[in-house]
Amino acid sequence: MKVVTGVVGNDIHVVANRLIDISLQARGFEVFNLGVNTHLEEFIDAAVESDADIILISSLNGEAEGWCRDLQFLRAEYALKNVVFVIGGNLSVGEAKDEDIVPKYESYGFDLVFHQVDLNTGLDKLEEFLGKRS
Amino acid sequence: MSKLLIDVGSTYFKISSDDGVEQQFRDFSKTIFDDLTSKFGDTINKYNKESVHICSSANGGLSTLIIGLTNSFSLKYAKNIAFNSGINIIDTVLYHHIDKSAVPGDLLDVVIVVGGIDSVGGIYDDKLFKYLEKLSYSNIVYVGSQKDAQYLSKNIESLVVLENIITDKLKMKEEALKEYLTNLYQQDIVGKEDIKHLYELTSNQIYSTPYIVNQSLPYVDARHEVINPFIVVDIGGATTDIHYSRDLSRENMLSESEYDRLVFKKLGVYKSKESLIFAAKNNEFVYELLNYLNVTENILEQTDEKALRVLMQLSIFLVLCKVSTHNSMYITLNLHLLKSIVLTGGITKVLSFEEVESIVQFFYKKILHTTAIPTILLDSNYDIWTLGMNAIEDKRIENVN
Ligand code: B12
Repeated sequence: MKVVTGVVGNDIHVVANRLIDISLQARGFEVFNLGVNTHLEEFIDAAVESDADIILISSLNGEAEGWCRDLQFLRAEYALKNVVFVIGGNLSVGEAKDEDIVPKYESYGFDLVFHQVDLNTGLDKLEEFLGKRS
Repeated sequence: MSKLLIDVGSTYFKISSDDGVEQQFRDFSKTIFDDLTSKFGDTINKYNKESVHICSSANGGLSTLIIGLTNSFSLKYAKNIAFNSGINIIDTVLYHHIDKSAVPGDLLDVVIVVGGIDSVGGIYDDKLFKYLEKLSYSNIVYVGSQKDAQYLSKNIESLVVLENIITDKLKMKEEALKEYLTNLYQQDIVGKEDIKHLYELTSNQIYSTPYIVNQSLPYVDARHEVINPFIVVDIGGATTDIHYSRDLSRENMLSESEYDRLVFKKLGVYKSKESLIFAAKNNEFVYELLNYLNVTENILEQTDEKALRVLMQLSIFLVLCKVSTHNSMYITLNLHLLKSIVLTGGITKVLSFEEVESIVQFFYKKILHTTAIPTILLDSNYDIWTLGMNAIEDKRIENVN
């Protein structure tokens, strides 16, 4: 399966991005890594050009919310019905509770939301989700 | 052996001989050949055809329409390659909007179709063919997913299929399309009646001016006053060109060349004066800028020397604005990193160093909020152009040997 990944917005935290790339490849995914500083539209466009199955966004500096509000709109624009949208990292500025954050990002159109969740736990859940779907 | 270099621009001629560089406005009631020989005939006669080198941007360049799958990849990469190949006039169509997209009425020199990495198929359908039926074009080239190449070839007459410009890792691969477009451009220049006539003056190939400037950039970099990363701004009569070091853009465009080119179609101080003024009036900082220059907006309606100077200063400001902010143009340059600005073209004959410097200071203070500005160089002797012409000649000799 093909995954487009990267760090959204003006976010330059690169370490997790490298780990995500390596871990996804180790799990057998074909990875398109857009790196840091990636705009939401670029994720979508990359999925269109590569016919990807999954978009996995990471955000560490807490600004993801501002960058992801337009997701529903962009998703409809390209009719990306079957693409799984995943986001993880530090999804808010400062302290925040999962029960506030998860529904908010789900309402933006994300299928899986991992706020301050360890990478391998998140990827296990992703594979579980894909398994159930197919 | 001494050489005579001639540049045929949209607004003026310039020539560089042993006596230095001269420029003169063109007379549009005459053909290029007659105009050139009446103005510089005596000088030209002193040289044999082998020693005369001509470049031209007067034919306006090729027009292209690009049909692509997304803004961030297919269209961005194809536009970038087209600009670097010397093409000025570009329209784009996003494939999923194609049935709602306007159909340009003019004859297009080339249509570029692009989209998808090689493993993706089934991207295009009848919508594409219906749209193409309504278009008039001389050439059509496909540089997208190889999986769809056969299907498109079957359905589109005279389709040229080249290597995909998008790699399997979504990076840009420019060589094949660039070579194709550069050759088309070259054929176009040679084919234009007006330019054909100029071969009576030279036995060397006539090149496009942007190509010449592009060739000179490594030499510009080698000069000690210029510090990398730099930009070369060529404000002409009809368009403004920016050539920039790739280090200034954070795009994912890996390729051989270190320099890219951007063209602002309607930003020139003569032929495109009206649209330059229009752009200026729509810029929120322009009134402050006019105030800073101690003039009022009435100056924009005037035609004297002072007005021309202000217009040129405005165009420097507008161009810097256009590349510094994220807008619908496809590229944003990180001007905080910029070390040198080199200005070339007719502007260097009109503006003084201080006039240019004050505009750059205004721009950096107002838009980038810093008082530190890059070093500024005025290429008033057209060294860049001379370097580029000589670079091409050196390359040719190298190839012969
Ligand atoms: C190193 C670092 C930097 C370096 C980055 C260098 C670089 N190029 O990578 C520098 C100094 C440049 C930096 C800058 C900033 N930083 Co910083 N930085 C850190 C730091 C110390 C470590 C980050 C790191 O690399 N960790 C190692 C990696 C492996 O872990 P990780 O990033 O947490 O990722 C893990 C998980 O989050 C998860 N994960 C990540 N993405 C995804 C996606 C999915 C789908 C899943 C399942 C999991 C997942 O997997 C990873 C492995 O388990 C953290 C604090 C910390 N200890 O975490 C702050 C931190 C991330 N930074 C922070 C901030 C605020 C900033 C700045 C805004 C500071 C400033 N005011 O200038 C700037 C932002 C710059 C920008 N434009 O982005 C905050 C973010 C706060 C928030 N979100 O609430 C943190 C948390 C520090 C803090 N406690 O305040 N930073």
